[in-house]
Amino acid sequence: MVKDNATPENLAKATTEEIKRINPLIPMKAKVTKIIEETPDVKTFYISKEENGQMVVPFHTAPGQLAMLSLPGVGEAMFSATDAPDHLQLSIKKVGTLTDELHEIVPGQTVGIRGPYGNGFPMDQIKGKNVLFIAGGIGLAPVRTAVRYCVDHRDDFAKLHLVYGSRSPADLVFQYDLFETWPAVRDFQVSVTVDRGDDNWKGNVGFVPAFLEELKPNPDNTVCIICGPPIMIKFTLGILDKLGFTAENVITTLEMRMKCGIGKCGRCNIGSCYICLDGPVFTLAEMKKMPNEY
Amino acid sequence: MNSLIKEMQALAQELLASGEVKGVFGWTKGSRWYLTPPLFIQKAEDAIKLHYDEFAINNLTSLLLDYRNSDDKIAIFVKGCDSRGILRLIQDKQVNPEKVLVIGLPCPGMVDKEAVKDQRHVHDLPLLRKCQECRYPNPVLADRTLGDVQVTKEPGVPIGITAERAIQKGVGSKGKERYQEVKEIEALSADEKYAFWQKQHEKCLRCYACRNICPACNCRECIFESDKKGWVNKAATTTDNAFFGITRAMHVAGRCVDCGECERVCPAGIPIMKINRKIMQDIDELFGTYDAGTDLEEAGPLNHFKLDDPEEFL
Amino acid sequence: MKAFPKAKLQEVLKTLASKGTLYVPALVDETHRYYPYRADIQVSLEQNSAISPKEIFFPSTEKIYNFTAYGIDGDYEEILPDRTACVLFGVRSCDMQAILCMDDVFLTRGYIDEYYATRREGATIVALGCSKAGADCFCSSMGLNPVEHEGADAQLYDLGDYYGIQGRTEKGEKVVEALAVAGLLSESSAEVLVPEEFVLQVDSEGIAEKLQAMFEHSLWDQLWRKCINCGTCTYLCPTCHCFDISEKKKNQHCGVKIKCWDSCMFNEYAMMAGGHNPRPSKKEKVRQRFMHKLRYFPERYGKYQCTGCGRCIAKCPVNLEITDVINQVREAKVNG
Ligand SMILES: Cc1cc2nc3c(=O)[nH]c(=O)nc-3n(C[C@H](O)[C@H](O)[C@H](O)COP(=O)(O)OP(=O)(O)OC[C@H]3O[C@@H](n4cnc5c(N)ncnc54)[C@H](O)[C@@H]3O)c2cc1C
Ligand code: SF4
Ligand code: SF4
Ligand code: SF4
Ligand code: SF4
Ligand code: FES
Repeated sequence: MVKDNATPENLAKATTEEIKRINPLIPMKAKVTKIIEETPDVKTFYISKEENGQMVVPFHTAPGQLAMLSLPGVGEAMFSATDAPDHLQLSIKKVGTLTDELHEIVPGQTVGIRGPYGNGFPMDQIKGKNVLFIAGGIGLAPVRTAVRYCVDHRDDFAKLHLVYGSRSPADLVFQYDLFETWPAVRDFQVSVTVDRGDDNWKGNVGFVPAFLEELKPNPDNTVCIICGPPIMIKFTLGILDKLGFTAENVITTLEMRMKCGIGKCGRCNIGSCYICLDGPVFTLAEMKKMPNEY
Repeated sequence: MNSLIKEMQALAQELLASGEVKGVFGWTKGSRWYLTPPLFIQKAEDAIKLHYDEFAINNLTSLLLDYRNSDDKIAIFVKGCDSRGILRLIQDKQVNPEKVLVIGLPCPGMVDKEAVKDQRHVHDLPLLRKCQECRYPNPVLADRTLGDVQVTKEPGVPIGITAERAIQKGVGSKGKERYQEVKEIEALSADEKYAFWQKQHEKCLRCYACRNICPACNCRECIFESDKKGWVNKAATTTDNAFFGITRAMHVAGRCVDCGECERVCPAGIPIMKINRKIMQDIDELFGTYDAGTDLEEAGPLNHFKLDDPEEFL
Repeated sequence: MKAFPKAKLQEVLKTLASKGTLYVPALVDETHRYYPYRADIQVSLEQNSAISPKEIFFPSTEKIYNFTAYGIDGDYEEILPDRTACVLFGVRSCDMQAILCMDDVFLTRGYIDEYYATRREGATIVALGCSKAGADCFCSSMGLNPVEHEGADAQLYDLGDYYGIQGRTEKGEKVVEALAVAGLLSESSAEVLVPEEFVLQVDSEGIAEKLQAMFEHSLWDQLWRKCINCGTCTYLCPTCHCFDISEKKKNQHCGVKIKCWDSCMFNEYAMMAGGHNPRPSKKEKVRQRFMHKLRYFPERYGKYQCTGCGRCIAKCPVNLEITDVINQVREAKVNG
């Protein structure tokens, strides 16, 4: 990476001489220190590495950046990473070979981790503005990295508003943040909805796009960060457009199959962009210029 | 030959114009005089692009797999050897016979483009070895025929307007010697055989051209597709390659229609047909002569059980 | 220019091989590719190798690290190739250009692929100018000069009975010097032989720009029809750099992570968990390949990712020729 100035622009321009020589494909040996069961199929893993007898963060990630996590002998996959002082948090949904195995492990497990990858959310450019976060399901994992940043730098941003939905109350991830931490933050509106309620659910029932339409957030001086399943994104974008959000002010993350994470192995391209390197964060305006192939 | 091409174009034109079929697989003249690659057309006016000559080597039948989930009827031109591929696809239930219209052609015998000496000027080329050894120069099945060819399930000599030329060039002249290469390998010691195949498998790139061109390799999901299942590794090492090569041979055992396409397309020049032919020879010896893909009604010795089957492997 | 007689090729190769690994195009078991030089090897400089020299820097399969897993413990141990010097002898202009494409991918944009870099840095490339075009060559149409390439460390020219040699870089000068010291070089004023007009020619000018408006073009609906989605074109291509990372378990507790060639023609290549594939059918796969070579790569790295070596044309089982695709793009009507 280019010295300490690893912005996407610098990375994109870096010549051979400017790139720090590490072997980017070798994972760093790390340990899972804590596991939180978020929902029946999502767990959050705290990952630290040992340095001089202390557990420290393997590397820091900016909001929206990624980490490649591997379990020796099982596989490797890319996840959004949430930065914390002495660990990284990866919230992982059980969907296949590696993620199934990850859901079986216990604290103390050795894992491999490499990163940070990707461009991250343009937090500097959002400074001073209202931020509308929209997330569905596990999509709150990447969004949460931006939310935490805004909360930590509360004075740098105007009003905050999160609209989040999941299939059922049991599928809501990060409930401790949703119902405790964030509502206590100044000027932070947290709106939660579920597709189907249960006996104890007192909140809104309905899909995210419809809920958003009811909430009618104001597009003035507002940037929207949205992540979730493709179908939710598709319908929500329609509503955002109707509400008057411009494509430049809607930011999302893209997902493609990844192997190397460093723009070499080829598979994560959309047009001439490699999502692992140039993404995963794009504005809707940028996405409109890319071939529709994701 | 020109009249045959005209007939092909006219038939394709008519089939597409009337809507009887939605597409036609044939060949077209390529960028050089010695190339006659596959062509798929969907519009009647494109029928004039069709061409046929002694370079129309490609067996087009595996391309039908792209339409196995489609309701469109597709027409396909076949030479004798190709027609066995259609049977394969029908017997394996990958192609609905109602949805294909097979047009049988007489075969002039295909020549070897590897022997081209002058790219700029047309010159004579030797007949392909597979054509010298050909035993089914006439379609074993067809809905329509052109050029006076006749459908026959039996091995035989070329029939139709190109027959004279084909026989003169030697089509089928070495039909009886087709196991000769197998015999040569059988004569080697076990160590020599091993060394021979190791050398061959070492070259394999694992490009899967052999599998993808093959009408018998028609599984919806090939076991080599999925490294997730851990059956085979992606690594192109000699051992993994051999595992691939031998597994593929066993998967097409008794179903391989002897078209030789796998060997033709292999960019590494691996003599894949030597293994396939060995298996054919063994089947002939164990169960009596059997040619896969020649008779729709016959399941084939490896596909059913008879009480008097030999039990050497048990 | 300095030159050595073709009759002394073996001595030249022996001299270079005495200094380190020397890769030469040779025929072994009927396969024409680059092999480490041995005195008994059948060196073949008549035409370009069937398998490209990319495998010297980017082998089809390589181990990247060992791992162990015992209960909750585990470890990783890097496996790096030796950082030894080597010489590639007889690299054609198309393959030299391809190495520059590979350099762009593996050595720039934020990260360096150490496996590639380690091999590449130690290599001296001695290019060989072509005096005869192969049957499927069209490098001249892709903006290259078949006779020489400025990216090489040293350049050989066909002078008839002699090979002329010129050093271009410090590394290349060392090669020339080694041959001079061995007393193999003399001065020659013979004309450099150049190939006659290529049989395959296309006009590639402006294709990358034109393709920017052609992602949705009906051309792609036809192109894929005969393709069998094999890996032949991409594996033989000297510029295709895609790889997969997977693992091979030795036993329950240890194994090795491997990096091996992959191809955008394969179905698994872009398949995601849950079965979503952004390029589900042959149409999207074929489009990806040509778009990458002719538009995306130029957009990213400023050069075509096709150097006109013709290998994909020679070996494609169905003759899906990139030259024909370029022509079709040129002729295509684009609305608006
Ligand atoms: C930029 C990015 C951010 C992501 N962030 C998160 C997150 O924060 N939390 C989370 O739970 N999941 C996230 N994912 C998805 C996660 O990578 C997949 O769920 C995971 O790869 C599934 O692996 P598996 O082995 O369990 O599934 P399998 O289906 O067994 O996977 C087989 C192979 O496919 C690849 N693969 C499968 N699905 C995907 C996918 N969606 N994207 C890329 N590669 C895939 C895997 O790497 C693996 O090699 C993210 C993906 C990307 C690309
Ligand atoms: S075509 Fe040849 S190189 Fe390719 S997988 Fe088959 S045997 Fe291997
Ligand atoms: S273009 Fe040819 S070589 Fe490439 S995948 Fe298609 S059939 Fe195979
Ligand atoms: S695309 Fe084909 S012609 Fe172009 S460099 Fe690759 S193999 Fe050679
Ligand atoms: S995406 Fe396809 S065409 Fe591009 S480098 Fe990879 S294999 Fe080659
Ligand atoms: S994951 Fe390899 S290029 Fe993006």
